[in-house]
Amino acid sequence: MSERSRLDLEQLLADALRPIEPPDDLATRVESTLTAITEQAAAELSSWAEDMSEWELDALRDPRNWVRPVAAVAAGTLAGGALVVVGMRRRRRPAGIRAAAENVLRQVLPG
Amino acid sequence: MSASKEEAAAREPATKAELDRAFEDLYRAHLRDVYSYAYYRVGNHHDAEDLTEQAFLQAYRHFERARRESNGRPLRPWLIRIAHNLASNYHRDRARHPQAALDAVEPPSHPYGTEQIVEGREELRAVIDRLDRLPDDRRDALIMRFALGMSNREIARALGRTDGATKVLIHRAIKQLEEELEN
Repeated sequence: MSERSRLDLEQLLADALRPIEPPDDLATRVESTLTAITEQAAAELSSWAEDMSEWELDALRDPRNWVRPVAAVAAGTLAGGALVVVGMRRRRRPAGIRAAAENVLRQVLPG
Repeated sequence: MSASKEEAAAREPATKAELDRAFEDLYRAHLRDVYSYAYYRVGNHHDAEDLTEQAFLQAYRHFERARRESNGRPLRPWLIRIAHNLASNYHRDRARHPQAALDAVEPPSHPYGTEQIVEGREELRAVIDRLDRLPDDRRDALIMRFALGMSNREIARALGRTDGATKVLIHRAIKQLEEELEN
Protein backbone atom coordinates (compact mmCIF):
# COMPACT_ATOMS: atom_id res chain seq x y z
CA MET A 1 0.00 0.00 0.00
CA SER A 2 1.53 3.36 -0.98
CA GLU A 3 1.67 6.16 1.55
CA ARG A 4 -0.54 8.28 -0.72
CA SER A 5 -3.29 5.71 -1.11
CA ARG A 6 -3.23 4.97 2.60
CA LEU A 7 -3.68 8.65 3.40
CA ASP A 8 -6.53 8.88 0.87
CA LEU A 9 -8.24 5.89 2.42
CA GLU A 10 -7.79 7.28 5.91
CA GLN A 11 -9.43 10.51 4.75
CA LEU A 12 -12.32 8.55 3.28
CA LEU A 13 -12.71 6.67 6.55
CA ALA A 14 -12.71 9.94 8.48
CA ASP A 15 -15.46 11.22 6.16
CA ALA A 16 -17.50 8.02 6.39
CA LEU A 17 -17.23 7.72 10.17
CA ARG A 18 -17.97 11.20 11.44
CA PRO A 19 -18.74 11.63 15.13
CA ILE A 20 -22.47 11.65 15.78
CA GLU A 21 -23.98 14.29 18.05
CA PRO A 22 -26.28 12.72 20.64
CA PRO A 23 -29.86 14.00 20.77
CA ASP A 24 -30.39 16.92 23.14
CA ASP A 25 -32.68 14.99 25.43
CA LEU A 26 -30.31 12.05 25.91
CA ALA A 27 -28.25 13.84 28.56
CA THR A 28 -31.38 14.65 30.52
CA ARG A 29 -32.62 11.11 30.18
CA VAL A 30 -29.38 9.54 31.45
CA GLU A 31 -29.13 11.99 34.34
CA SER A 32 -32.75 11.32 35.34
CA THR A 33 -32.18 7.57 35.30
CA LEU A 34 -29.02 7.85 37.39
CA THR A 35 -30.78 10.10 39.88
CA ALA A 36 -33.77 7.77 40.10
CA ILE A 37 -31.57 4.77 40.76
CA THR A 38 -29.50 6.40 43.47
CA GLU A 39 -32.65 7.82 45.13
CA GLN A 40 -34.32 4.42 44.97
CA ALA A 41 -31.33 2.76 46.60
CA ALA A 42 -31.15 5.47 49.26
CA ALA A 43 -34.88 5.14 49.98
CA GLU A 44 -34.53 1.37 50.38
CA LEU A 45 -31.74 1.88 52.88
CA SER A 46 -33.54 4.65 54.70
CA SER A 47 -36.82 2.77 55.19
CA TRP A 48 -34.93 -0.28 56.33
CA ALA A 49 -32.85 1.74 58.83
CA GLU A 50 -35.96 3.41 60.31
CA ASP A 51 -37.38 0.02 61.18
CA MET A 52 -34.34 -1.05 63.17
CA SER A 53 -34.04 -1.21 66.94
CA GLU A 54 -30.97 -0.04 68.86
CA TRP A 55 -29.86 -3.63 69.15
CA GLU A 56 -30.01 -4.03 65.38
CA LEU A 57 -28.11 -0.79 64.82
CA ASP A 58 -25.38 -2.06 67.11
CA ALA A 59 -25.32 -5.33 65.26
CA LEU A 60 -24.94 -3.47 61.98
CA ARG A 61 -21.55 -2.20 63.09
CA ASP A 62 -20.37 -5.77 62.68
CA PRO A 63 -19.27 -6.19 59.02
CA ARG A 64 -20.72 -9.69 59.03
CA ASN A 65 -24.15 -8.02 59.06
CA TRP A 66 -23.59 -5.81 56.03
CA VAL A 67 -25.13 -8.19 53.53
CA ARG A 68 -28.63 -6.71 53.80
CA PRO A 69 -27.84 -3.04 53.04
CA VAL A 70 -25.50 -4.06 50.25
CA ALA A 71 -28.25 -6.24 48.82
CA ALA A 72 -30.67 -3.29 48.99
CA VAL A 73 -28.31 -1.08 47.01
CA ALA A 74 -27.68 -3.87 44.52
CA ALA A 75 -31.40 -4.46 44.12
CA GLY A 76 -32.02 -0.78 43.40
CA THR A 77 -29.20 -0.69 40.89
CA LEU A 78 -30.27 -3.86 39.17
CA ALA A 79 -33.87 -2.72 39.02
CA GLY A 80 -32.79 0.41 37.19
CA GLY A 81 -30.57 -1.58 34.87
CA ALA A 82 -33.39 -3.99 34.19
CA LEU A 83 -35.68 -1.15 33.16
CA VAL A 84 -33.10 -0.03 30.64
CA VAL A 85 -32.70 -3.56 29.29
CA VAL A 86 -36.45 -3.87 28.94
CA GLY A 87 -36.47 -0.57 27.07
CA MET A 88 -33.76 -1.79 24.72
CA ARG A 89 -35.50 -5.03 23.96
CA ARG A 90 -38.83 -3.35 23.40
CA ARG A 91 -37.62 -1.44 20.37
CA ARG A 92 -35.83 -3.30 17.62
CA ARG A 93 -34.22 -1.41 14.79
CA PRO A 94 -31.91 -2.19 11.86
CA ALA A 95 -28.41 -2.88 13.12
CA GLY A 96 -24.84 -2.41 12.08
CA ILE A 97 -22.40 0.07 10.79
CA ARG A 98 -23.89 0.04 7.31
CA ALA A 99 -27.30 1.08 8.63
CA ALA A 100 -25.64 3.82 10.69
CA ALA A 101 -23.61 5.18 7.83
CA GLU A 102 -26.51 4.90 5.39
CA ASN A 103 -28.53 7.06 7.76
CA VAL A 104 -25.80 9.67 7.74
CA LEU A 105 -25.71 9.69 3.94
CA ARG A 106 -29.50 9.63 3.63
CA GLN A 107 -29.78 12.82 5.62
CA VAL A 108 -27.68 14.86 3.23
CA LEU A 109 -28.38 12.93 0.04
CA PRO A 110 -32.11 12.52 -0.42
CA GLY A 111 -32.82 9.90 -3.05
CA MET B 1 -5.29 19.48 36.99
CA SER B 2 -1.81 18.04 36.24
CA ALA B 3 -1.35 14.31 35.65
CA SER B 4 0.38 13.78 39.00
CA LYS B 5 -2.40 15.63 40.86
CA GLU B 6 -4.99 13.59 38.99
CA GLU B 7 -3.17 10.42 39.94
CA ALA B 8 -3.06 11.48 43.58
CA ALA B 9 -6.74 12.48 43.52
CA ALA B 10 -7.70 9.16 41.98
CA ARG B 11 -5.85 7.26 44.71
CA GLU B 12 -7.40 9.17 47.59
CA PRO B 13 -10.71 7.94 48.95
CA ALA B 14 -13.39 10.26 47.59
CA THR B 15 -16.67 11.31 49.16
CA LYS B 16 -19.89 10.46 47.38
CA ALA B 17 -20.25 14.10 46.26
CA GLU B 18 -16.71 14.16 44.85
CA LEU B 19 -17.29 10.93 43.01
CA ASP B 20 -20.55 12.21 41.57
CA ARG B 21 -18.87 15.40 40.39
CA ALA B 22 -16.03 13.43 38.81
CA PHE B 23 -18.52 11.14 37.12
CA GLU B 24 -20.48 14.10 35.82
CA ASP B 25 -17.28 15.53 34.29
CA LEU B 26 -16.53 12.18 32.68
CA TYR B 27 -20.07 11.88 31.42
CA ARG B 28 -20.17 15.35 29.88
CA ALA B 29 -16.74 14.92 28.29
CA HIS B 30 -17.52 11.58 26.65
CA LEU B 31 -21.24 11.42 25.98
CA ARG B 32 -20.64 12.07 22.28
CA ASP B 33 -17.90 9.42 22.10
CA VAL B 34 -20.04 6.73 23.67
CA TYR B 35 -23.04 7.71 21.58
CA SER B 36 -21.05 7.78 18.33
CA TYR B 37 -19.57 4.38 19.05
CA ALA B 38 -22.97 2.96 19.97
CA TYR B 39 -24.54 4.43 16.86
CA TYR B 40 -21.97 2.95 14.50
CA ARG B 41 -22.28 -0.42 16.21
CA VAL B 42 -26.08 -0.73 16.30
CA GLY B 43 -27.06 1.41 13.30
CA ASN B 44 -30.00 3.39 14.66
CA HIS B 45 -30.61 6.18 17.10
CA HIS B 46 -33.10 4.49 19.39
CA ASP B 47 -30.90 1.57 20.30
CA ALA B 48 -27.82 3.80 20.34
CA GLU B 49 -29.54 5.95 22.97
CA ASP B 50 -30.47 2.92 25.04
CA LEU B 51 -26.99 1.47 24.74
CA THR B 52 -25.40 4.80 25.70
CA GLU B 53 -27.64 5.08 28.73
CA GLN B 54 -26.86 1.55 29.81
CA ALA B 55 -23.14 2.11 29.32
CA PHE B 56 -23.18 5.13 31.62
CA LEU B 57 -25.25 3.27 34.20
CA GLN B 58 -22.70 0.47 34.26
CA ALA B 59 -19.90 3.00 34.37
CA TYR B 60 -21.52 4.77 37.31
CA ARG B 61 -21.84 1.50 39.17
CA HIS B 62 -18.13 0.72 38.83
CA PHE B 63 -16.77 4.24 38.67
CA GLU B 64 -15.08 4.39 42.06
CA ARG B 65 -13.07 1.26 41.42
CA ALA B 66 -12.20 2.22 37.85
CA ARG B 67 -11.04 5.63 39.01
CA ARG B 68 -8.92 4.13 41.74
CA GLU B 69 -7.34 1.56 39.45
CA SER B 70 -6.75 3.95 36.57
CA ASN B 71 -4.01 5.78 38.48
CA GLY B 72 -5.03 9.02 36.82
CA ARG B 73 -5.04 7.64 33.26
CA PRO B 74 -7.95 8.78 31.06
CA LEU B 75 -11.10 6.74 31.51
CA ARG B 76 -12.36 7.04 27.94
CA PRO B 77 -11.03 3.58 26.92
CA TRP B 78 -12.77 2.05 29.92
CA LEU B 79 -16.04 3.72 28.95
CA ILE B 80 -15.75 2.62 25.34
CA ARG B 81 -14.94 -0.89 26.47
CA ILE B 82 -18.21 -0.95 28.38
CA ALA B 83 -20.09 0.26 25.29
CA HIS B 84 -18.19 -2.29 23.18
CA ASN B 85 -19.24 -5.18 25.44
CA LEU B 86 -22.85 -3.99 25.52
CA ALA B 87 -22.91 -3.72 21.72
CA SER B 88 -21.56 -7.27 21.45
CA ASN B 89 -24.31 -8.48 23.78
CA TYR B 90 -26.86 -6.56 21.74
CA HIS B 91 -25.80 -8.29 18.51
CA ARG B 92 -25.63 -11.68 20.22
CA ASP B 93 -29.17 -11.17 21.50
CA ARG B 94 -30.40 -10.12 18.07
CA ALA B 95 -28.81 -13.17 16.50
CA ARG B 96 -30.71 -15.39 18.93
CA HIS B 97 -34.00 -13.55 18.55
CA PRO B 98 -34.07 -11.91 15.13
CA GLN B 99 -36.89 -9.42 14.64
CA ALA B 100 -37.97 -7.31 11.72
CA ALA B 101 -37.25 -3.60 11.66
CA LEU B 102 -40.16 -1.63 13.04
CA ASP B 103 -39.80 1.72 11.37
CA ALA B 104 -37.37 4.11 9.75
CA VAL B 105 -34.89 6.00 11.86
CA GLU B 106 -34.37 9.71 11.90
CA PRO B 107 -31.05 10.95 10.51
CA PRO B 108 -28.39 12.59 12.67
CA SER B 109 -27.26 16.18 12.44
CA HIS B 110 -24.48 16.55 9.91
CA PRO B 111 -21.58 19.00 10.04
CA TYR B 112 -20.89 19.01 6.30
CA GLY B 113 -22.67 20.62 3.36
CA THR B 114 -24.61 18.53 0.85
CA GLU B 115 -22.46 19.59 -2.06
CA GLN B 116 -19.31 18.32 -0.42
CA ILE B 117 -20.89 14.98 0.31
CA VAL B 118 -22.36 14.43 -3.15
CA GLU B 119 -18.91 14.56 -4.69
CA GLY B 120 -17.70 11.59 -2.70
CA ARG B 121 -20.99 9.78 -2.41
CA GLU B 122 -20.14 6.57 -4.27
CA GLU B 123 -16.71 6.40 -2.74
CA LEU B 124 -18.12 6.74 0.76
CA ARG B 125 -20.77 4.12 0.07
CA ALA B 126 -18.09 1.73 -1.14
CA VAL B 127 -15.98 2.34 1.98
CA ILE B 128 -18.98 1.79 4.26
CA ASP B 129 -19.94 -1.35 2.41
CA ARG B 130 -16.45 -2.85 2.71
CA LEU B 131 -16.11 -1.70 6.30
CA ASP B 132 -19.24 -3.62 7.15
CA ARG B 133 -17.65 -6.79 5.81
CA LEU B 134 -14.48 -6.57 7.89
CA PRO B 135 -14.00 -8.92 10.85
CA ASP B 136 -15.56 -7.42 13.98
CA ASP B 137 -12.33 -6.53 15.76
CA ARG B 138 -10.91 -4.73 12.71
CA ARG B 139 -14.14 -2.82 12.09
CA ASP B 140 -14.47 -1.84 15.76
CA ALA B 141 -10.87 -0.60 15.88
CA LEU B 142 -11.51 1.59 12.83
CA ILE B 143 -14.67 3.04 14.40
CA MET B 144 -12.66 3.91 17.50
CA ARG B 145 -9.87 5.43 15.45
CA PHE B 146 -11.89 7.43 12.94
CA ALA B 147 -15.23 8.19 14.60
CA LEU B 148 -13.80 8.80 18.05
CA GLY B 149 -10.23 9.85 17.21
CA MET B 150 -8.75 7.42 19.72
CA SER B 151 -5.01 6.75 19.81
CA ASN B 152 -3.55 3.26 19.38
CA ARG B 153 -2.95 3.12 23.12
CA GLU B 154 -6.55 4.05 23.94
CA ILE B 155 -7.89 1.51 21.43
CA ALA B 156 -5.59 -1.13 22.92
CA ARG B 157 -7.04 -0.48 26.38
CA ALA B 158 -10.60 -0.47 25.08
CA LEU B 159 -10.14 -3.78 23.27
CA GLY B 160 -7.98 -5.39 25.97
CA ARG B 161 -4.99 -5.83 23.67
CA THR B 162 -1.37 -4.77 23.72
CA ASP B 163 -0.30 -1.57 21.98
CA GLY B 164 1.66 -3.60 19.42
CA ALA B 165 -1.21 -5.95 18.65
CA THR B 166 -3.52 -2.98 18.20
CA LYS B 167 -1.14 -1.25 15.81
CA VAL B 168 -1.01 -4.43 13.73
CA LEU B 169 -4.81 -4.79 13.92
CA ILE B 170 -5.41 -1.30 12.56
CA HIS B 171 -2.75 -1.67 9.88
CA ARG B 172 -4.30 -4.92 8.70
CA ALA B 173 -7.80 -3.45 8.81
CA ILE B 174 -6.81 -0.56 6.55
CA LYS B 175 -4.85 -2.87 4.25
CA GLN B 176 -7.78 -5.27 3.92
CA LEU B 177 -10.13 -2.39 3.27
CA GLU B 178 -7.90 -1.04 0.55
CA GLU B 179 -7.55 -4.45 -1.10
CA GLU B 180 -11.28 -4.95 -1.08
CA LEU B 181 -11.86 -1.50 -2.55
CA GLU B 182 -9.40 -2.28 -5.35
CA ASN B 183 -11.30 -5.45 -6.17
